[in-house]
Amino acid sequence: MADSDDFRSPALPSDPASRVVKLEPFNRSEALSLGVELELQLVNTHDYDLAPYAEDMLRLMAQTPLPGSVVPEMTSSMIEISTDICHSAQDVITQLSPIREALIKNADKLNIAVVGGGTHAFQQWHERRIYDKPRFRELSELYGYLSKQFTIFGQHVHIGCPDADAALLMLHRMSRYIPHFIALSASSPFVQGQDTQFDSARLNSVFAFPLSGRAPFTLSWKEFEAYFERMTRTGVVRSMKDFYWDIRPKPEFGTIEIRVFDTPLTVERAAALAGYVQSLAAWFLQEQPFEPTEDDYLVYTYNRFQACRFGLDAVYVDPASGQHMPLRDHILMTMTQLEWHSEALNATQALGELRTSVEANRNDARWLREKQGKERLLAEVVRQAALRFRGAA
Amino acid sequence: MNLTSFINDLLGFWSEWLRPSAGLPTVLWSLLLAAAAASGHLVQRYLGLPKVVGYSIVGAVVGFAGFEGAIWPLRGISLFLLELGAAVVLFEAGGRLPLRWFRHNPMVLGQSLLEATLTYFGVLWTLQLLGLPDPVANPIALMAIVASPAVLSRVIMDTRASGPVTERAMTLATLNTFYALALGYAQAGLIERAPQTLLQKLYPVAVVLGLSFVIGAILALALRTALRFMSPTSESTSILLLALIAAGAALTAHVGGSAPLAALIGGVLLKTLNPKPWAWQRQLGTAASLLTMLMFVLVSIVAAQADWTLPVASVVLAVIVVRLFAKIAGVAIANPGSGASWKQAFWVGCAMSPLSAIALLIASNFTTASPLLGTMITQVALPSILLMEVMGAVLATVAIHAVGESSVPWAPQAFSTTEDTQR
Repeated sequence: MADSDDFRSPALPSDPASRVVKLEPFNRSEALSLGVELELQLVNTHDYDLAPYAEDMLRLMAQTPLPGSVVPEMTSSMIEISTDICHSAQDVITQLSPIREALIKNADKLNIAVVGGGTHAFQQWHERRIYDKPRFRELSELYGYLSKQFTIFGQHVHIGCPDADAALLMLHRMSRYIPHFIALSASSPFVQGQDTQFDSARLNSVFAFPLSGRAPFTLSWKEFEAYFERMTRTGVVRSMKDFYWDIRPKPEFGTIEIRVFDTPLTVERAAALAGYVQSLAAWFLQEQPFEPTEDDYLVYTYNRFQACRFGLDAVYVDPASGQHMPLRDHILMTMTQLEWHSEALNATQALGELRTSVEANRNDARWLREKQGKERLLAEVVRQAALRFRGAA
Repeated sequence: MNLTSFINDLLGFWSEWLRPSAGLPTVLWSLLLAAAAASGHLVQRYLGLPKVVGYSIVGAVVGFAGFEGAIWPLRGISLFLLELGAAVVLFEAGGRLPLRWFRHNPMVLGQSLLEATLTYFGVLWTLQLLGLPDPVANPIALMAIVASPAVLSRVIMDTRASGPVTERAMTLATLNTFYALALGYAQAGLIERAPQTLLQKLYPVAVVLGLSFVIGAILALALRTALRFMSPTSESTSILLLALIAAGAALTAHVGGSAPLAALIGGVLLKTLNPKPWAWQRQLGTAASLLTMLMFVLVSIVAAQADWTLPVASVVLAVIVVRLFAKIAGVAIANPGSGASWKQAFWVGCAMSPLSAIALLIASNFTTASPLLGTMITQVALPSILLMEVMGAVLATVAIHAVGESSVPWAPQAFSTTEDTQR
């Protein structure tokens, strides 16, 4: 799901020059600091369909002092939780665990369940209700049915960058690893009651939105500012939030934000993925292992598609050499490259868990398919996913 | 020529004209159901009201006209059909009764107990104030506890509702149905006796509960066994379920338990034994809808047979107002700590206003047990049931829309401007 803040009113000044908005300055943040956002599903405990309990959940969560925040999302069956600034994967799980416990406790009180996963397996988009907030109503008016079809659930990872230019450099380096992130987090094989044959069908919904996909290739913040101002002159964009890119700079936080992850089925995996991103970022900052180029993007969409469609079984085309290799092997190769950095960042356990799952060729999409193969009932798969979220399956 | 003599003439003609056949009553009932289905559709399409209002209107019109297809007190096939319809609804409601919820949120159980208690005593004292004797006031007060899960589930279907108020109202309605059935069936057996000790009063409750529990457990175990080798999404499973509930209903009534109570307990036990989501509702769909529609028509035909006089109307109105107030107050007083807002508590109370088949079955038991007292009970019970089948459905719809839990706007479908499209 795109940020709910992403909407801007379509009412525009007629003079293009007066539409120009200056990009806010890139704030300072601690390099390699982390922030994680998770969009979560609220389901009833009867037929395990999505249930409109966001308001009740937020009301109860507000009574518990917790790190981070819990906020509403576009439709009333979703909520988003986020951490405060973290420094390691360990830190992320330390913050996410009490939030998860509070979610479970309050869900039990409301007789609902909280579930991870990039999509709800069988919900019908037309039955969704827009969360009652002026911004969401306006967003719904602008995008029509797309806003309800956007009932999808993602994990966003923010990574602190030393400065604005370094952020763009990191963003474009990170773009080579988008297929890795997709395959590792893929947990949306089912949409509207059907197996899509994709491991991550969620990202197909993102493509329907304007200004989705990749960020323009520029390694200088000055050039990026100029690009932003040109875009605002067209009237299509009025803020950074109007971009739905897979990775985008977040100047107000001093971070880049990676948005391609499906919400995993457990917070432990979400923390491990954050640890993987942080280790990659450390590798980029400390070793400057390669220079990104515009040509990296020649294979970007193909690699992205492969990862969405086949998950860990995808083919990865190396943007630099053009070499084709199993994505799984490339993920394992990067993990070996990252060992030293992950150790320094206290992320060895996180990467170890990811490595074990890759070696076993398992991700959450496969777990969901295996459950459906056994149970032949998607509602039961959702029930078991809810148990998995609370650590009971 | 009144309706009865017309039907007698028609019966004579029918028997000479065509034989063998299912008989004129079958034709009349079939036409009645056809009219109810059409009326439900039209009421929803052009007035935006729940379909159950249409069913009740047809039943009431036929009942007022003197249709003798369902004679009060109910017996035989009409009683069985009513019990079966209620049993199907309550089996499903039992399967939705989340026992673990009460462990995590005991205040929900507190809301249920308080609203049921306040309703009972509120109605009882009101009737005593109005001069009704205890043996009449008590059954009516018991009957008033019930909030019809059948009407509520139909309204939920019509409005495509889901959410905290919808779920809580359904849970509380199922719980108070449980209390009323256990107490109502047991006390009906005592109406002409005067139990002195607490044990004498509780013994019949234990018998009704025990017998219903045994049948419910057998039903749950049979279905649990079937689900080991049958798919929950299979049509055959739905038919098996329906057939077993029917057998259970007939058996329970025969041994002296309560058929709807046994079905409710069966649903709870099956969900406990088999926590997987139930998937047979869609397959059960039309058959269950036909059965519940028949139940609503039957209830309103019978209820329309009441004597409608001004004094009766005053008592009925007093019962309805006190009952509604007691339900709202009970839910609201126990609301703190239950996870719901005050606004939600208010609308949960309103959503529990419908009365229908269960209340009629309880009234029927008392009437059968004591025809003399039954007449007095009937005078107040039947008009209340008829009014609250219609008004309760409307109030429940208002409640669901007021808290924004309906997936469809509250407007006549014929004039709807939404993008809602049918294939």
